[in-house]
Amino acid sequence: MIRRVWFVLALNLAFCWPALVSAQAPGQSGGELHFCLRAEPKTFNPLLVEEDASETIRYLTGGVLIRLNRQTQALEPGLAVSWKVSEEGRKISFRLRSGLHFSDGTPFTSEDVAYTMKALMDPQLHSPTGDSFRSGDGQVVVQTPSSDSVVVTFPAPVAGLERLFDQVAVLSAHSPKKETAVLGPFYVADYSPGSYILLRRNANYWKKDKEGKSLPYLDSVRLDFQRNRDIELLRFRRGEIHLINTLDADYFDRLQKETPAAVHDAGPGLDSEFLWFNQVSSAPLPENKKTWFRTTEFRKAISMAINRADLSRIVFGGHAHPAFGPVSPANHFWFNSSLPIPQYDSAGALRLLAQAGFRLQGGTLRDSSGNRVEFTVITNSGNKSREQMVAMIQQDLSQIGIKANLVTLDFPSLIERITRTYDYEACLLGLVNTDLDPNSQMNVWLSSAENHQWNPKQSKPATAWEAELDRLMQAQSSATTEKKRKSDFDKVQQIVADQQPFIYLVNKDAMSAISPVIRGSSPSVLDPHAFWNADVLRLGPDPALGAQK
Amino acid sequence: MIETRKSTNFFRLGLRRLLFLVCLGLGGVLASATLVRFAPGYGAEERELDPRWRADSVEALRQKQGLHRGLPSFYFHYLSALAHGDLGESDSLKRPVGELLRRRLPVTGNSVIRGLGVAWLAAAGLASLGLVTRGWWFEASTTAFNSLLLSLPSAVVAMLAVHLRTPVFCAIAVVVFPRLYGYIRNLLVRSYHQPHVLAARARGLGSSAILLRHVLPLAAPPLLALFGVSFAISFGAAIPIEALCDSPGLGQLAWQAALSRDLPLIVNVTLVVSLVMLAANSLADLAGRAFAGSTQ
Repeated sequence: MIRRVWFVLALNLAFCWPALVSAQAPGQSGGELHFCLRAEPKTFNPLLVEEDASETIRYLTGGVLIRLNRQTQALEPGLAVSWKVSEEGRKISFRLRSGLHFSDGTPFTSEDVAYTMKALMDPQLHSPTGDSFRSGDGQVVVQTPSSDSVVVTFPAPVAGLERLFDQVAVLSAHSPKKETAVLGPFYVADYSPGSYILLRRNANYWKKDKEGKSLPYLDSVRLDFQRNRDIELLRFRRGEIHLINTLDADYFDRLQKETPAAVHDAGPGLDSEFLWFNQVSSAPLPENKKTWFRTTEFRKAISMAINRADLSRIVFGGHAHPAFGPVSPANHFWFNSSLPIPQYDSAGALRLLAQAGFRLQGGTLRDSSGNRVEFTVITNSGNKSREQMVAMIQQDLSQIGIKANLVTLDFPSLIERITRTYDYEACLLGLVNTDLDPNSQMNVWLSSAENHQWNPKQSKPATAWEAELDRLMQAQSSATTEKKRKSDFDKVQQIVADQQPFIYLVNKDAMSAISPVIRGSSPSVLDPHAFWNADVLRLGPDPALGAQK
Repeated sequence: MIETRKSTNFFRLGLRRLLFLVCLGLGGVLASATLVRFAPGYGAEERELDPRWRADSVEALRQKQGLHRGLPSFYFHYLSALAHGDLGESDSLKRPVGELLRRRLPVTGNSVIRGLGVAWLAAAGLASLGLVTRGWWFEASTTAFNSLLLSLPSAVVAMLAVHLRTPVFCAIAVVVFPRLYGYIRNLLVRSYHQPHVLAARARGLGSSAILLRHVLPLAAPPLLALFGVSFAISFGAAIPIEALCDSPGLGQLAWQAALSRDLPLIVNVTLVVSLVMLAANSLADLAGRAFAGSTQ
């Protein structure tokens, strides 16, 4: 009996021992770039990409006809050697590189481009990439005069047409591997749901370095799914991952103290944080509040009463810049540099409010009917910087007698309120901007659009300035020259600055962490900040992190 | 004759348990579906804020989300699909739920079984050692250590596991161990004070022999029942631990499903978790009864 018991105990120990042993720190092999995705990609089909994780896979694996250089913001030839836009932006002709092959060896021809464009423009596909090309009703015609030339004709002019091709990864029309046959620097070699994706070097990638050596240099890229940012930071500090593509300000400062060489602040990014008031006429709000929110002086006064410099300095530790309008200064071409810089001026805010019938009584601001001015700002929970921003805005507004309350909601609840029930007073959110062209913001500025957040889906513009916004956005969209488009969009930015439907607060800096073992990195303000040039990255010697082959 | 009646009764009991298990599992599915359906933000997705979508695409997206809006209709379609072995498709991950569960369940099962193994080994070993040594210092130190572990929430244990780079099963073992140790220790002490054990001790039988020949057989039925309970505890602990450690098991999947209000995924995860836990409890109970019967 005793023997049997000892046998059971020994068996149990033997059963658990391998697992105990396997609890060692994972080792690193050279030539493999290692970083984290904050969610699992929903698709590997490049045409259906709609979120960050799938976007990363598409960027690293997809071959595109034209590539936007994230550093210079200029367009560069990709699979197309040259291109020409004609018929006022309705037609684009490409001359393709010849002799290229997909990762599985299938030859690349103009038929593949035609196949990709037809699949992308299928009305049933419903993808944001396809939607970006839709400028009017009708069919897209794709012609392939030869194996190395393609002509795509759209039913109506498409503004910034060539730039949109940066998002279109070409699929193979003939490969049995379908979307897993790629033309980019890497291909998906392994996928473990919930755990990681392994990308391996595509030996058929077309690009070469100056010495004529085939790119990419890296053998593979391993992308772990890691939702928790604290753990991601911990793993970076341990040397288990090589980069963090987007770093928050507090993480940046923590990491800077330990390894100053690893953190990079590329300056103001395209992302902006902003506040808006609910102006929806059917919103379940008291009438007096609706009246405040529709009053331009009220919105402008709130904007004046917010100390943006303090928000940048305190909440973001100096890693943000006061925002003036819908376009960040990082967007060199489209930024309207003549916009007035908003000055923090609580006395001026009170003067504006007085013009609109508000008065300060015993430290409390009241409207013309004697109602106390008080509203609630909603934002998404779990975002510390937004919560801190609202806390600082509360303090700023208390200087002019306004009481602002904060309510944090999880994202689905918040989206339900701002898109369906409209049961909110003010909302603070951020806009993650990936596209430089203002055409990607059509659904924000058109009064009939879903994302015209302060008052969406209007059957006709509620105000004259919104009608003017509609006109200007349509005009810039159909303009034939960049100069005319720029002029129209500058006016849009001016109207937004004058009317403050969105009160822009700050443009966050594009911050990333890159391990010193990575050679060739050059962080950019455009996404992907840290690995936009993944094909020329390589791992160098660093005994501390042990990442050399 | 008596043996036949006993086995028939046992079979009936097993059948009743199975029926109860299926009803409870489906009831759990209905309850979770109702909770998710009426949770704030159900059907609202972050991608609706992407300005690149055209109005007709947003409308198509909402119509797709609207498929699960009517709860009775969802439940009816869910049950009829379930009868054909179809668990549907995850709204958030865009993959068949059956495939997701097939990939995730073994990960959780592995962690739970290893964690349970370590916890049982440690708890039973320590309780037996205490019984054999019977020193006050040992008693006091193990009780203090046990209380300390009991006071640690699963989330804290998970975070410690992340920082110490220990695998998920170790965290599960740490959560389960203190719950097992106290119970096993009390059970062994009670058995140790039974008259026939006292008589054996009076006859000069060694401590190990008393433990193995007299105490353990007496404590076996409740220990088997405890095994079922400990399985349920470890499975329950695995959910938050996996979510926090980002281990690709059911816990991570359940957390993702809850955050994204993914109705098809969350009802199926609920079904699987409740079935596994109920099955473990029922099996342990039946095994305990069978063991007690055979001992009598």
